[in-house]
Amino acid sequence: MFIYDKKLQYPVKIDKPNPRLAAIIISQYGGPDGELGASLRYLSQRYSMPFDELKGLLTDIGTEELGHLEMIGAIIHQLTRNLKDHQIQDSAFAPYFVDHTVGVYPTSASGFPWSAASMQVKGDPIADLAEDLGAEQKARVTYDNILRLSDDPDVNDVIKFLREREIVHFQRFGEAMELLRQKLNKKNIYCMNPAMDL
Amino acid sequence: MRSRKQRMACGQGKLPDTAYLANPFVPFQQEDPPKYEPRKGLIRGTIYPGLDLPFKGMVNKNEKPRTPMTELQTLAFVIQELALYLDTHPTDRNALEMYQAYQEKYHELKAEYTNRVGPLNHRTPSKGPYRWLDDPWPWEYAKNKEG
Repeated sequence: MFIYDKKLQYPVKIDKPNPRLAAIIISQYGGPDGELGASLRYLSQRYSMPFDELKGLLTDIGTEELGHLEMIGAIIHQLTRNLKDHQIQDSAFAPYFVDHTVGVYPTSASGFPWSAASMQVKGDPIADLAEDLGAEQKARVTYDNILRLSDDPDVNDVIKFLREREIVHFQRFGEAMELLRQKLNKKNIYCMNPAMDL
Repeated sequence: MRSRKQRMACGQGKLPDTAYLANPFVPFQQEDPPKYEPRKGLIRGTIYPGLDLPFKGMVNKNEKPRTPMTELQTLAFVIQELALYLDTHPTDRNALEMYQAYQEKYHELKAEYTNRVGPLNHRTPSKGPYRWLDDPWPWEYAKNKEG
């Protein structure tokens, strides 16, 4: 089960509200390569993982991603606190505001609500780990893009942390792929599905 | 003398001598890789210099001020980083010893934090009034508050 710890993985202290940035960063809450999809992807894929290293890694990374979801929520919340109407009227945050006020809702920056169609659980360990490698790269690029668009030092401090976590996770998923391969048929690693046929 | 393995740059890993076609390969991180100090590791997002690959040279330079919360976050981060490493390198004894040492420290600090600030979760032993609802909640802006 999960127990809530009343702390963030990394401090989020954003001095200046900035609705324009909130409208961009919301994508890492509920966008196609965001933290909600990441956590659900890994925590769901783990059931069909055949080996302990893979079960452990997907559990641990999936749990960390839930912590990242909370951090992104904290960023959005702090960027949108104490806003005056004119700050919203003049910003790219207005379309989000009309639907969600300053609540935190899982949607992409382009307005598409979070969809399970942005992730997959294929039930085959090689296919799922290959998806996970791609997912970490796509999330890393989203953070690169946020760094291009943001000049707020308090926001960027947190974004750099989250971006680096994607690189570490990519490394671990790559190692997990190697650990899996070592247990498969050397002549043909695709001769069966290890989630079903071992 | 350092072994060939240790002389390898920490940003390089090990690939098999021959590799299967039609499958992705990521080099395996070498055992006992160099590590940052915990407080630097936290702001860099990794304790491993070899994996620290910033975008356009954008790097966090200022370590977090020491508060009961950031101390806890630092220890928890090192434990998480070592846990992911151990998931794929379960026989690295140095990493295991470090992981266990940081678990001890975290446990001690958590008790201190609970006394000074409040409970971290519902399973923290407590006495007196119900303190779970006390500020700060983690997502709230708390410039002048501890945490």
